[in-house]
Amino acid sequence: MLSQIVYLHWLSFSKLSHTPSLPIALPFSHQEPKLRHSNSAPKQAIAEERVHFLIHIVFLKVQSLSTNMLHLTKGRVGCLLSKRAVVGLTNSGARMSSHSHHEVSDQVDMSQPMYWDRLDTPLPDRAWNDVLDSKDKSLKEKEKGPWTALSKEEKIALYRLKFNHTYPEMKRPSHEWKTVIGGMFIFFGITGLVVFWQGHYVYPPQPHTFGEEWQAKQIQRMLDMRVNPIEGFSAKWDYKNKQWK
Amino acid sequence: MAHPSQLGFQDAASPVMEELLHFHDHALMIVLLISTLVLYIIVAMVSTKLTNKYILDSQEIEIVWTVLPAVILILIALPSLRILYLMDEINDPHLTIKAMGHQWYWSYEYTDYEDLGFDSYMVPTQDLVPGQFRLLETDHRMVVPVESPIRVLVSAEDVLHSWAVPSLGVKMDAVPGRLNQTAFIASRPGVFYGQCSEICGANHSFMPIVVEAVPLEHFEKWSTMMLEDA
Repeated sequence: MLSQIVYLHWLSFSKLSHTPSLPIALPFSHQEPKLRHSNSAPKQAIAEERVHFLIHIVFLKVQSLSTNMLHLTKGRVGCLLSKRAVVGLTNSGARMSSHSHHEVSDQVDMSQPMYWDRLDTPLPDRAWNDVLDSKDKSLKEKEKGPWTALSKEEKIALYRLKFNHTYPEMKRPSHEWKTVIGGMFIFFGITGLVVFWQGHYVYPPQPHTFGEEWQAKQIQRMLDMRVNPIEGFSAKWDYKNKQWK
Repeated sequence: MAHPSQLGFQDAASPVMEELLHFHDHALMIVLLISTLVLYIIVAMVSTKLTNKYILDSQEIEIVWTVLPAVILILIALPSLRILYLMDEINDPHLTIKAMGHQWYWSYEYTDYEDLGFDSYMVPTQDLVPGQFRLLETDHRMVVPVESPIRVLVSAEDVLHSWAVPSLGVKMDAVPGRLNQTAFIASRPGVFYGQCSEICGANHSFMPIVVEAVPLEHFEKWSTMMLEDA
């Protein structure tokens, strides 16, 4: 039962897509950016589907070994296997693009002028869209004239030819922190379960000196002996009125 | 002894321990100040939106962050060395006691006037009287007169041990074949607990040290009684 809960939680966490849809209020956001380079997001989705299917199989297999004591480990084995499977079956580019906005291409020819979207270096070495059809070419000719003659849509089109993302698009949050914090809490929970199990099944009984009566006698003896009387223990006891200060 | 959930040092029972407490406060304050500064700088660096890609070097800041740490180190070293030499001073003790470490108990010899020697074993947990401290009580305590300089000669009969009493500010390794000297003055009467501080086998955690500082008349009565019992 618990393993099913863990498994479902893990599924929902990894299926959460943290890259948000572009909010309507931003400038230039009504037009979808033209994709000049292939986006590795679909690759990630396909890989994840495959992984989830595999893990479902694994989970069912693991569930079929049924002793009651191992019901916690079953769910955890499923999680461990799935994490390894995700790492093994996806490439680093796909994994990075699931959270970061850097669409990573696997091979870049650094001897050619490159394009980049960087907040601190605004003007890349080349434009985003180098391959212009006739419509774009005529627009570029029109750009050589007075810019007051350009309509708003034409200005936006020119921007999108030159650049991939706008500044707000570059700065958009990735929501990665939710995965991190969520993962942390999952591990805290697992650790808590382990600690509780340990306390119940592994630890020997406490020495009898931890009992209430013994502790009370011990504290009275420490006060009688004036243990740490200057700033520590006995300094906090009011000997005249027989109470803590 | 330590009280429950204690974090800091035990109250000093000797002048040397008082000095150590004050030095620790001094050094810890310096450490905390430096750590706060570093933490602030880290947070400021991480959370800024500004970038600067063109700084190469700066002579002024290099000088500052070389000289300032050197000054701080001197400020820590001077009190430290002062206490070190203070502990080494010639102290003209009133009494010399030999503390010998064995597996797994201590034995004390008071041989200045008569031949007094006895063993000090830990009281096992099942034999404790209600109110006694688990793993700390011994059957015989090392009794010393209060406010008298005491010299302790520490050695061992088998393996390495270490004779330590934190509230007196004393720790000295017990090395077989070697005689190590340490000294203390108990500034107030009381019972002071310590534990063996060098791994010495299976019962290393179960050979505590108990020093009882009493007025001189009580010490004389005690030593007479111990001699009669022997």
